[in-house]
Order: sequence, then C-alpha cells, then structure tokens
Amino acid sequence: MFRYILKRFAQFIPVFIGVTLLLFFITTILPGDPVALRAGEKKLSPAVYAEMRHAFGLDKPWYVQYVNYLGDLTQGDLGTSIASGRKVEVIFKETYPYTLKLALAAITLEILVGIGAGLISAIKQYTFWDTLVTLSTSILVALPVFWLGIMLQYVFGIQLHILPISGASSARFSDFAHLVLPAITLASVSTAYAARIMRSQLLEVQSQDYVRTAYAKGLSPTRVLWGHEMKNALIPVVTFVGLDLGAMLSGAILTETIFNWPGVGFTIYKAIGQRDFPVVFGGVTIVLFAVLFVNLLVDVSYAFLDPRIRFGDASEG
Amino acid sequence: MAGELLKVDDLKMHFHTRDGVVKAVDGVSYTLNPGETLGVVGESGSGKSVTALTMMRLIPMPPGKIEGGEVLFKGESMLTMKEEQVRDIRGNRIAMIFQDPMTSLNPVYRIGHQIAEPLITHKGMSKKEAHARAVELLEMVGIPNAASRARDYPHQFSGGMRQRAMIAMALSCDPDVLIADEPTTALDVTIQAQILELMQALQKRTGTAIIMITHDLGVVADIANNILVMYAGRAVEYGSTDQVFYEPSHPYTWGLMDSLPTHDLTEKSTLCPIEGQPPSLLNVPSGCPFNPRCPYVKEECRTTVPELRDLGDGHLSACLFAADPDFKRSAADCAGVTR
Ligand SMILES: Nc1ncnc2c1ncn2[C@@H]1O[C@H](COP(=O)(O)OP(=O)(O)OP(=O)(O)O)[C@@H](O)[C@H]1O
Ligand SMILES: [Mg+2]
Repeated sequence: MFRYILKRFAQFIPVFIGVTLLLFFITTILPGDPVALRAGEKKLSPAVYAEMRHAFGLDKPWYVQYVNYLGDLTQGDLGTSIASGRKVEVIFKETYPYTLKLALAAITLEILVGIGAGLISAIKQYTFWDTLVTLSTSILVALPVFWLGIMLQYVFGIQLHILPISGASSARFSDFAHLVLPAITLASVSTAYAARIMRSQLLEVQSQDYVRTAYAKGLSPTRVLWGHEMKNALIPVVTFVGLDLGAMLSGAILTETIFNWPGVGFTIYKAIGQRDFPVVFGGVTIVLFAVLFVNLLVDVSYAFLDPRIRFGDASEG
Repeated sequence: MAGELLKVDDLKMHFHTRDGVVKAVDGVSYTLNPGETLGVVGESGSGKSVTALTMMRLIPMPPGKIEGGEVLFKGESMLTMKEEQVRDIRGNRIAMIFQDPMTSLNPVYRIGHQIAEPLITHKGMSKKEAHARAVELLEMVGIPNAASRARDYPHQFSGGMRQRAMIAMALSCDPDVLIADEPTTALDVTIQAQILELMQALQKRTGTAIIMITHDLGVVADIANNILVMYAGRAVEYGSTDQVFYEPSHPYTWGLMDSLPTHDLTEKSTLCPIEGQPPSLLNVPSGCPFNPRCPYVKEECRTTVPELRDLGDGHLSACLFAADPDFKRSAADCAGVTR
C-alpha cells in the first residue's frame, strides 16, 4: 500500500513538471504586463518599473523563473502576488475552503441524487419514473452549464428573491443559501451522468449469473439488490464520482465565476486577467496536488470495492 | 405415488419476444423420488435449463409465460404458491448449481460469506455460526485449508474449486433436491470426473435427490436412476436408465447414443453425430419436431404430433412408431467420422 502510493507519486512528478513547464512557457507569449496592469492608469517611472520587475523576478528569462519557482516550491513558498503583494499561500489558504465547501456540497448532491435516481430508474425499469429520469438526464447533459447557472440566478434570485445569486455570504442570506445555486449548477451535468451510469450498471449486473445464484439461494429481491448487485454496480460509479470530485476540487472556474464564488477557480480566473502569474502558478500547483490526492483516494476505494484489484501488483498503475 | 418428492406435469414455458413466441419448454413431465437421480439429456437449446429455472420460478415473467402444466413439490404447487413460500424452498429444500462456476459466484464477496448466506437466510444462524459451518462444508467438498480458503475471493479459486464451492453452498441447508445444470461442462475432463464422483459421494451421505442436467448421455449413464431425453422443448423419451440404455425407443435417443464416443481405442469405432441442426424454437416443425432430422421419418411424422406414450413399465416415448415391433434401430451406418 505504502509502496503503491510512492509509485503513484513518482508517476505524478513528470505530469506535474510537464503541466507547469507548459504554463510557464505560455506566460512568456501571453500579451500584457502584470506590473503595468497593477499600476493601472497612472504611469510608473522607468526606474520604479524596472525595480518592481526585478523584485518579482520578471526580468529573468522564463526558464530561470521556472527553476526559481521549483526551488521556492520545495521550501513551501509559492511566491508573492504581483497584483496585491500578498503571499500566494495566504491567498489560497483563504480561498481554498470555499472551493472545498462547494465541491463537497456538489458531490453530496451528485451522490444522493445521481445514484438515487439511477437506482430508482433501474429498479422501476420502463415505468414512469424510469422515463422521467432518462428524459431529464438527457436534457441536463445537453444543457450548457453557464446557461443553467444564469437561468437559476434569474428564476430563484431575480424573479423569486428566495436565493442569493452572488458571493459566499451576505447579511440577508445564510451561508447555506449562498451555497445552493452554485452547488446545483456545478453538480448538474455530473449528476445526470452518475444517474445514467448507475442505471446501466445495475441493469447489466442484474443479468449476471451470480445474481441468478443469489436468487436460487432464496434471497429476497431486496437482499439481492443490496447484498449482491449494488457493490458490483457501484464500482464504475465510484470511479466516475471520484474523478469528478478531483475536477471539482480543482476549482470550478465556470461556476465560481458565474456566482462570484470566492474559491480557487474564481481566484485563478481573476489572476489570469491581471497577469498575476505567481497566483496562477500557485493555484495550478494546488490544483494538481488536489487531483493527485483524489485519484489516489479513488484507487484505494476501488480496491476496497473490487477484491480483484490489489496494490503492489506490477501490472497495475 | 405417495413418496413423490417432485412431480412435473406437462410443463410449458414460452417466451414472448419481438420475433414471436419461443416455445422453450413445451410439455415436459417427470417425477423424482427422494434420494433418486434423474438425468435430463438433450442438445444445446433443447430447454433443459429453462425447465429447471421454471420449476424454481427463476424465469422473469415477462418475457416468460407459463402456458400450462404443474410442478408439485411434496404435493404443493410451486407455480401457484406465494413468492415468500418459493423463497423458503429455494436454496433450502431445492438447491441449484450452474454450468459456469467462473461467473456463478459473486466476484466481490468472500467464498465463505457466499456459502454462509443460505444458512443465515434459512436456518437463522448467526454470521459466526454460519461461517463456521461454511468452513466445514468447504472441507466436506474437498477444499484443503478450508478455514483460510473461506476468506478467499472467487478469483483466487480454480474452476474446479469454484464448482466445489458452489456444491458446498447448494448443500449447505441439506436440501431434498439438488438441481445440477451441466455442472461439469465448463471444466476439463479430469476435474469433471472428480466433481461427478464428489456429487455421488455426497448424495450417498446426505440422501439428496439429484436432477443432473447434461447434454452428454455418458455423464448420466452411471449415476442416474431415470433419464429424461428432451428435444426442442419437449420430453421425447423417459424411463429408467436401463430402459433408456438397453431399449432406447426414440430415434433421437438412438442418435444421441451413436454420437457417444466409445472408449475402446483398440477397435476403429465410428462416431455418428445427428445430422442437421436442432429446430428454431420460434418455429417448430409441424408433426414430430424431430422429423426433419430423423433417418426413419415416415409420412405421418410430418403431420401427426406424437404424444408421450407408455410402452409398459413406465417407459415413455414420443415416437409414433415406438410401439411398433418392426420399427428397429438399424446399425450405425452413417457416413460418420471414423477414428
Ligand atoms: N429470456 C429468453 N427469451 C427468449 N428465449 C429464451 C430465453 N431464455 C431462453 N430462451 C430460449 O429457450 C431455449 C432453451 O434454452 P435452454 O437454456 O433451456 O437450453 P439448454 O437445453 O439448457 O441448452 P444448453 O445445453 O446450451 O444449456 C433456447 O432456444 C433459448 O434461446
Ligand atoms: Mg442450459
């Protein structure tokens, strides 16, 4: 198990270097100057401008900047924001909890509604409920997320005035109320997929020989479902939901931007606009580690569900 | 007869599919007495499995539909009793093992747990008691280190061991009837013999009646008391093993026997497979279903549906000419495969 985690970490290093290197390279060809953007309207004197570029290491070639970034990273230092002058670690320490909160809310919704709907749909195959689930998931999958977000804002915020449409807290609404619309928006498409995977997996499992064996033992349909079918059917669902959680923990740029949600995605989005590269790199670094962590978690739970998968086997990776 | 354990009478199970009605089982009857072995023989697709599953009410309806007949277990109708009552019988009084041991066990649960399940369900045992019993059962079916192997998952067992585990599971509640649906077909020859031997030994010990389903007459020759020969969803011959082997009285049975390889390698023997393919059950030929393949076919065979008729001593045949003394099996003179 420990060796397996080490191995996964070793596999992660080239991915990490590849992604960050690409990102550094892109910043060199991106138009816009962070120092000038920070100054805004007022003109900087050439001396001050040069000094600021030097202070942020921007006067060096990009590969030197990259080596410096890696060096600082090993010290746990993600650098300083050009736009605000604050430490990047501090910025993400503040924003990450919002991303985490939104991701957990969305994944809870996805698990409860997605798996629940898929389950009902499969058990009541070809009934009204099955049709309802099949139809609504087809529609959800096809809807653009930003459109759904904006429609929710319009209906529940602007027309009905029952839910806030922006930010994570306000005097008028509870923090929970602030979470509702972003969580629904973020979870929508994946919930539909989760429901469909759950449904098709369960239907497939139901025709397996071992399910016939379970019935031949004299088990009731409920016992067969929970004691024999679910664990098998859940394996692909867990993989999907897990990978999705990884994506959500990386900050949902679209959803966070629509709802001004002060999480990692929104922060990175703003930082890109300001060419605030230390914040962008810091955000991407955190996101990469979050994805690594979640993927590990998925693999571990996968092995827990499926005994045919064991750690330490050379053929796995 | 009062001692009858299981009586199947003119059972019919049809599947209503998009392409039409598949008459998978279309008139099957037999009786099984306590401790006896019945061999059910027929080609692939002749309805052997569907017959067994219909008795156990394990065929989903729809698409299946029971079009008639009766299944009596200890005098009670299995087809009309409540679902809960059938569940009490399944795995408890009548147990089943299946053709493919690789897929018949749940891959994500331990072997011991799967064997313990019927004991918890039917005997009200605690998990611990049931597990201890499962280990004993694994020992009984010849699994070495049973206590530790009970904690294995199916993929850690070989095919033969899995079938042993299936047998242990089926016998856990000491059933009156064990239905074995081609239990050795998926196994290699040496393992086949071991499994058959094991089943016979266990039968001697427990007195369980066995329904042995197979497409190989050779498998049931030594172990069955009675044999039912099925063709295209129907019973075509039924009798004691001696009757069926020494006085076979249906051309299909003759064909099955001619296609048995003899184990005498000193002589050149001929293997005579039955010509042609079994009929589509969507569209069974009129008259005798075997008539298109029957080397002895006569005009009436194409028009008259033969009934199962008693030739005396409970030996039944569904050949129109079975009772005719001039109607004899000719020596196997097929073009055949010579080896
Ligand atoms: N759900 C179903 N819908 C339609 N037809 C079915 C269904 N189940 C079984 N059948 C048909 O019933 C027929 C009998 O099948 P069955 O499995 O009983 O054959 P079998 O004698 O056990 O053959 P084998 O030796 O291959 O196991 C087959 O032709 C099969 O196609
Ligand atoms: Mg079969």
